[in-house]
Amino acid sequence: MLRELKDKEYIPPKNMLKLFIKGGFALSKVLIKNMGQLKKARKERIEYIPLKRNYELPEYKPGMKVVKSNEKYLRPTLYCNPYAKEIVALANHLGAFEKDPYEYARDAFEFVKRNLILQIMPLDGVVPTLKRGYGTCLHKISLFIALCRAAGLKARYKLYAIAMIQQWYETFVEIDPLMREWYDAMGYFMLHGEGEVYIDGKWIVADVGPTPERQAATGIPITKFGEDSIGIWFQAIPGSIMRVESLPLGLGMASKLLMEKISPASVAKMNNNILRQVEKGRKILQEIGEEEYNRRVRKGYKMPTIELERKSIIFE
Amino acid sequence: MIEFKEYIENLNKRLHNYIPDPATFTPGEEGVFKPLDVYNHPKKEADEYKFKAIKYAFKHHYENNSFYKKYCKENNVTPDDIKSIDDFNKIPLIPDKFFKTYPSGKEFAMWLATIYTGELPNIVIKKSDDHDDIINKFNDAGLVISYSSGTSGRHTFIPRDKRTFNDTEYAIAKAAITMVYPFWEYDSYGYLLMPNPFKTNVFAGKVCSVYFDAVKDVQVALDRELKADLIRAAMKNNLKGRIIRYAMQRENKKMIERIINWLRENYKKKNKISFLGAPFILYFVMEELERNGESFDFGENGAVITGGGWKIFEGQRIPVDEFRKKVEKILGIPPENCLDLYGMVEGNGWMVHCPEGHYLHIPSTYYHAMVIDENGEEVAYGEKGRFAFLDGLAMSYPSFIISGDEVRMYEECPVCHRTSPVLEPEVSRAKGDEMRGCAEEMRRVLSMDLGGKDA
Ligand SMILES: [Zn+2]
Repeated sequence: MLRELKDKEYIPPKNMLKLFIKGGFALSKVLIKNMGQLKKARKERIEYIPLKRNYELPEYKPGMKVVKSNEKYLRPTLYCNPYAKEIVALANHLGAFEKDPYEYARDAFEFVKRNLILQIMPLDGVVPTLKRGYGTCLHKISLFIALCRAAGLKARYKLYAIAMIQQWYETFVEIDPLMREWYDAMGYFMLHGEGEVYIDGKWIVADVGPTPERQAATGIPITKFGEDSIGIWFQAIPGSIMRVESLPLGLGMASKLLMEKISPASVAKMNNNILRQVEKGRKILQEIGEEEYNRRVRKGYKMPTIELERKSIIFE
Repeated sequence: MIEFKEYIENLNKRLHNYIPDPATFTPGEEGVFKPLDVYNHPKKEADEYKFKAIKYAFKHHYENNSFYKKYCKENNVTPDDIKSIDDFNKIPLIPDKFFKTYPSGKEFAMWLATIYTGELPNIVIKKSDDHDDIINKFNDAGLVISYSSGTSGRHTFIPRDKRTFNDTEYAIAKAAITMVYPFWEYDSYGYLLMPNPFKTNVFAGKVCSVYFDAVKDVQVALDRELKADLIRAAMKNNLKGRIIRYAMQRENKKMIERIINWLRENYKKKNKISFLGAPFILYFVMEELERNGESFDFGENGAVITGGGWKIFEGQRIPVDEFRKKVEKILGIPPENCLDLYGMVEGNGWMVHCPEGHYLHIPSTYYHAMVIDENGEEVAYGEKGRFAFLDGLAMSYPSFIISGDEVRMYEECPVCHRTSPVLEPEVSRAKGDEMRGCAEEMRRVLSMDLGGKDA
């Protein structure tokens, strides 16, 4: 049992565990210190209207093809069941088993990236995510991975802590003083990620998290299939990148606790803010068109990436 | 009046410890130490200095810094592509935010090692070392790691070697002293409106240690160490925060009293005085004097060199010319002796007001400034954009930076006739970027007693 958990990487890797433990401690400290503020925040009512899904779900027909394998990166993992009817139907609808693997993966990428809106909420499975039409970047990555695995393409998570760009800071952090305290305390607790799919001997990155509208609103390029958002619009904290088959156990519970029990008003504020951002991005893209937007913004935005070197440092 | 040549030679004598053996000058150092006036050198010769300095620095970092080399390769640029100043815009720029993206723990040490160009001395890092411990170990090994901080709570760390740091200290002293000509003389009295340079790793404070070598008697406004933890604790709206704020408030009152007493004493003795540092401290001093109906008339015997931003409280900026008027009214120091400096932790170029027009002159013999639009392209003179620069002095890290500061640059000063390009008198952060400024950190501490919680 434990071996299986380990093998499937349900147990978070060491560096992620370290991040979480540190983040957990810092967070508890902030929470305890701010009980009063927290109570106020909990009482606060923020109007928030959940989004409506903006796409149709293809119908499932018995006998639809799906790859069921127990191989690593193909099998179901936490919150990511590629065998679910809804997933199989969508995979077939998107051309699994018809298109060549690269083309299919790219179309699955575009579907997830463009159609599902970012909203902050506790983790849940790919089926509710698909039915709902929104979720966090982790929800979206899971959906992309499930679509790949259902079509027999190995897929995994690439997770990391990010150094936020300022616009993100404004959206997520600055809007809420409590959130800012969290942020300052947490430092590295901000987990973000992308999907990766294995085609022709290579892992190809899929930045499904941000929709084009949101990228336009924050002035960053619209990432394409195979394009890493690291280096383009933010930096991964070096050393924090981890590639895993599954989301770790405990993340779902933790996110539920954080968002539902501690400060639902903060989450509602953030989500409203994201929706405003999406609206702003939509206007920008309508005005100048996606292609022109991309051309303009790409010229100016680059960030070097680094691989850590030890040089002559001695670690005791 | 003393000849400018003799004036600078006196400075070089005073600061000889900062000047390396001329036989070993890098091209960047030649551009700093050889010209008498880095803001008014004949254009053609200044360009020659500048081209050599920046080409050399670019080649040096390309060859000795693996992350920068990789970045250049991604941008398809090699040192051979830089054939004249017109090619400078091919040199890949690093966003200033890059220097905020450091990991924690022992990886922080590796990160510093990675952005550092060339080999490092042996440094032993323990598991339990935090950021401050790691910085101190690097510094013990002969480096000068300094930082500045922003509102997002993340610092900007820059690794300098001792020599680069000496160079930049000399450069800032020469900048100020050149522009206040003929004011400067060693036998005078200074007040540093900054944390004690010998007790801080904050760049804006540390770089001011040269003040102690250029002026006979220097007092320090803030003698305590400004620790990030303390600042954070003071900003909390709890009992501990209130106690710290109360203590600070008392300390600030005392600080202002000390400065006023110092002014009285030196005025009585007819001493030559100068202030260097954060404008808002002097602003508070002047406010207090004004309340008491007190004023001085230092005249040509006084100078004020400010730096680090013009925010007084949250959401309140003093216009620079209003500040100068106040300095003239309360201290009797003429506007020609009240100049602002603009620089940043990532670079070693110092922009300084000319006394005639208060435009920020850019040194033209080792440093190349550009203004970049949102597409990453250079804009024409007079148009707004982000300030970017190529620094020929930094040997320990690639100092080819695009900043978040919004500026307008002019090819010539609209007022004086120096040969260097200028920026408009005031610089602001581009929209969406965080406020930084080196006075910002102190402002946060010192203005807390007024508004309680500050962002
Ligand atoms: Zn001028």
